[in-house]
Amino acid sequence: MEYDDIVEKTATGVTKGLLDWSLSSIKALAQKFRDKELAFIQDEETIKVVKEQLNSGELNFYKIYIPDEKILFLAKIGLTLRRLENNSERRKNLRDKVHQKYEVRGLHISQFVENGLLNRYIGILIENLISIQDLKDKIMKLLNEIEKYVLFVKAQDVERSVIDQVRIKVFANSPSIFVVSGISAGAEIVKKCESKITLLLTNYELEKISSERKENLFYKRVFRD
Amino acid sequence: MELISLKNISKESKILLLRELGYDSDGEFVLNIDKTQVIDKYLEIPVRIENMVILPGSTIILDDNEISLSKYLEEFPDGI
Repeated sequence: MEYDDIVEKTATGVTKGLLDWSLSSIKALAQKFRDKELAFIQDEETIKVVKEQLNSGELNFYKIYIPDEKILFLAKIGLTLRRLENNSERRKNLRDKVHQKYEVRGLHISQFVENGLLNRYIGILIENLISIQDLKDKIMKLLNEIEKYVLFVKAQDVERSVIDQVRIKVFANSPSIFVVSGISAGAEIVKKCESKITLLLTNYELEKISSERKENLFYKRVFRD
Repeated sequence: MELISLKNISKESKILLLRELGYDSDGEFVLNIDKTQVIDKYLEIPVRIENMVILPGSTIILDDNEISLSKYLEEFPDGI
C-alpha cells in the first residue's frame, strides 16, 4: 500500500474509530504525529473536561483575585473535580493526584472551590467590601492559610473531635468567617454537630449551604454594640 | 488536530508506536531509548503504557490525568 493511501485510510479510520494498527499504519500515524496533525490520547472526554475549565467564567473571575499561579491552578483543578462529580473513579484518581503533588493544603484549596465554597465566601466578603485590594488580600489570606478558616470534616471524624477542632481554630484565630464543610459521610457528621457548634460560636451567625451530599456551615462573626 | 484514542489498542501495537517515535517499553512503563523510565514532567511520576498520552511539543509523553493535561495546555495552548 502506498504511503498516501495508508494516511488516508488512517484518517478515515480515526473518524470511524476503526484504526488499522498494522506496522505500516503505525508508521503512517507516527509520521502524522511528527507533522503535528494528530495526538494520541486515552479518553476524549478528559480532554474536553480539561479544556472546558481553561476558559470557564468562574476561573476567569478567580484570575482577577488570585495572583498566585499555583493557587489559581488548584482552583482550576477544583472546578475540574466539580465537573467530575458523577464520575467517582476519575474524581478519586484526580483527588489522589492532587494530594500526592500538592499535599493536604492543596487538596483543601481544590475542594473549597469544588464545593462552591470559594464563590460563596467571596460573596460574603463583598457584602462588606472596603476596596478591591482588601478583597484580594482577604481571598489570598484565606487560601494561603485555609486550615485556619475552614474545617473539612472527614468520614472517620467523630462529633467530639469536630467540635474540639472548631473551638481550637476559632478561638485561636478569631476569623471573620469560619466554614465547616463535609461531603457524604462527612456531611452527616456536620449535620450532627451543627447545633453544638452554633451554641459554641455565640459571636457568629450561621448561614447554611446544604445539598443532598454536602453540608456546609458558614459562621459569620457579628459585631455587637 | 485529530485525537486518536489508545484506550482499546493492544499493548503490542502501543509498543510498536513507541518504538516508531523513538521510545520503548518494558511492557509496563514507557522507556526512553536508554531504557530509563519516561517521567511525566508535570506530576513527576513514571508513565505507564496503559495510561500514556502522546502529545505534540517535541513528543511529550504524559500520564493521562487532568493535572498533567491542564499543565500541558497551559504550556502549549494550541497543542491539542
